[in-house]
Amino acid sequence: MGDSGPKAGLEPSERTAIGITFGNSNSSIAHVVDDKAEVIANEDGDRQIPTILSYVDGDEYYGQQAKNFLVRNPTNTVAYFRDFLGKEFKSIDPTHSHASAHPQEAGETVSFTVKDKEGEEAAPSTLSVSEVTTRYLRRLVNSASEYLGKKVTSAVITVPTNFNDKQKAALVAAAAAADLEVLQLISEPVAAVLAYDGRPQAKIEDKIIVVAELGGTRSDVAVVASRGGMYTILATVHDYEYGGVALDKVLMDHFAKEFMKKNAGAGDPRENARSLAKLRLEAESTKKALSLGTNASFSVESLIGGVDFASTINRLRYETIARTVFEGFNRLVESAVKKAGLDVLDVDEVILSGGTAHTPRIAANFRSIFPPSTRILAPSTYASAINPSELQARGAALQASLIQEYEAEDIDQSTHAAVTTVPHTTNAIGVIALGGDTAADEVFVPVVPPETAVPARRTVHLSAPGGGDVLVRVVEGNTHIKVTKPEPKAKENGDAKAAKAEDADEEDDSDFSEDEDEEEEEEEKREKVWKIGATLAEAGLKGVSKGAKVEVSITVNADLSVIVTAREVSGKGGVRGTLPSA
Amino acid sequence: MEATVVPLPLPALPEGWEAENGFKAIGKITNERATQRTLEPVGPYFLAHARRARHKRTFSEDDR
Ligand SMILES: Nc1ncnc2c1ncn2[C@@H]1O[C@H](COP(=O)(O)OP(=O)(O)OP(=O)(O)O)[C@@H](O)[C@H]1O
Ligand SMILES: [Mg+2]
Repeated sequence: MGDSGPKAGLEPSERTAIGITFGNSNSSIAHVVDDKAEVIANEDGDRQIPTILSYVDGDEYYGQQAKNFLVRNPTNTVAYFRDFLGKEFKSIDPTHSHASAHPQEAGETVSFTVKDKEGEEAAPSTLSVSEVTTRYLRRLVNSASEYLGKKVTSAVITVPTNFNDKQKAALVAAAAAADLEVLQLISEPVAAVLAYDGRPQAKIEDKIIVVAELGGTRSDVAVVASRGGMYTILATVHDYEYGGVALDKVLMDHFAKEFMKKNAGAGDPRENARSLAKLRLEAESTKKALSLGTNASFSVESLIGGVDFASTINRLRYETIARTVFEGFNRLVESAVKKAGLDVLDVDEVILSGGTAHTPRIAANFRSIFPPSTRILAPSTYASAINPSELQARGAALQASLIQEYEAEDIDQSTHAAVTTVPHTTNAIGVIALGGDTAADEVFVPVVPPETAVPARRTVHLSAPGGGDVLVRVVEGNTHIKVTKPEPKAKENGDAKAAKAEDADEEDDSDFSEDEDEEEEEEEKREKVWKIGATLAEAGLKGVSKGAKVEVSITVNADLSVIVTAREVSGKGGVRGTLPSA
Repeated sequence: MEATVVPLPLPALPEGWEAENGFKAIGKITNERATQRTLEPVGPYFLAHARRARHKRTFSEDDR
């Protein structure tokens, strides 16, 4: 929003608003009922709706039905077009459109030529990517309207963090042409965070979150500072090599080779467009089955030259052949943390989002990259994880329900840079308490964490067991990573390593990451420790009752001046002081 | 946000510590970054922030 320029907008009372996630591979629609976000199933019963349109005899199909036409009607099927929106032909990557209608140059934009009218004689139409988007969004909105029993007028739509202003404007315009008011475009990782924070049982706390958005054609990772329920993106990385499609390819190659071994002379199913399309669809469903079960079947009728093919694969085998792709995800996540200037020990939560995030091995790998204190929010590692395929749409729906009451102008003003761009704290601000090994060492208690947008206010309760006069010393603090090397052990270590290297080459050793973990623990212990920095203020609180709790509240104002208050909980009086702005 | 409970004691006030109104301002907070960061305009807490910012209200005024 904001980028898209002024727009009339509907009266809040006229609106029915939903959340939409619009991906290259799949889209979803969601709404809020009784304060809970819910993803809507379309008329086919799908909640992940393939972002595909297909034309057969003048009829328009979308979603899974259109996807199935990739086998029999690829040239009149438009797929993987979202990332072409708002771009010039020369800057798009057409790779994923090889097996469907091809993108073409059309002046400033990209278009597709398809036969969308009935009759042998009817001339094909050239549809701009904007027109394709409009038609597709119209279908999504119709499904939502049908489900809700009233016409959907407005939506919050999620976009990747690297969507530029031109892409955003093109999306808003394409939606407007579908009679859909875009209340706001929000970024995908933040929608995922909101889906978790918006749950009724969620507790708002200060935390660093890594959102791994693992889709079909791309993987995007964002590091988010979540501070009192407000979100600041610290770093993002994007990758177009490792994604769900790369995993499909691994399985396609695996089964194509197996097929050729069993059916010498039948030919390579990857060299025939139709066989390839069948191979791709089945590989994807085998892959999905492997997220749930430890075995999955693969079966295609008349794969090539009329020969049927059926086989199975177990999860271990899959994890071995797909290892390069999985390691690509690991590196992506690690590079995002590094880019944010953080250590894995700084990360409180990893949210796995997107269809590919269902894969248990990916969550297990992340589990071994991060310390045990980091929560890995994925179906296989966290009991109350939200379905990764639903996070974005749910977040968008929650945001839609929050802002649908506002006039469009109000939304624009609130999302304007004058309101969103603010100073953030550099260091943590905290107080000194007694603790540590001797229970009498000075320790830093963080109150306002670093990377907190101001104004901000935080409150802590400390104890005063002995009562009397206590000192509240307000200081800045920093963390550093303390590395402890263990006692050097016998040199068998080296032998074990050599053995491990051999193991790793063996195809069925899929437990490599756990082993690595053990090795690391033997090597060194890494911990995050607070370092006490410069003193900012001292407050003396006198005559505190024995066993009382002391409440310290620190407010950092918009101009970076600081207000400190200290008082006995449920006591009278207290101390209040101000530090000048930085 | 609710108060965080920290189960640690505060140190005793040193002998002879005195200050007007019990408060000594000593430093200023570090603000190394010339560039400001951008909040994501999403979620109920951001909306509350935007409301305070646009109406120039403080936390305490907002509490009332
Ligand atoms: N249960 C599952 N297990 C493994 N992979 C899955 C599962 N469900 C979906 N996927 C894969 O997730 C990918 C689609 O992800 P998603 O629905 O998030 O799409 P998207 O955001 O539109 O993708 P992109 O824009 O990256 O192309 C596909 O490769 C699909 O095969
Ligand atoms: Mg995606």
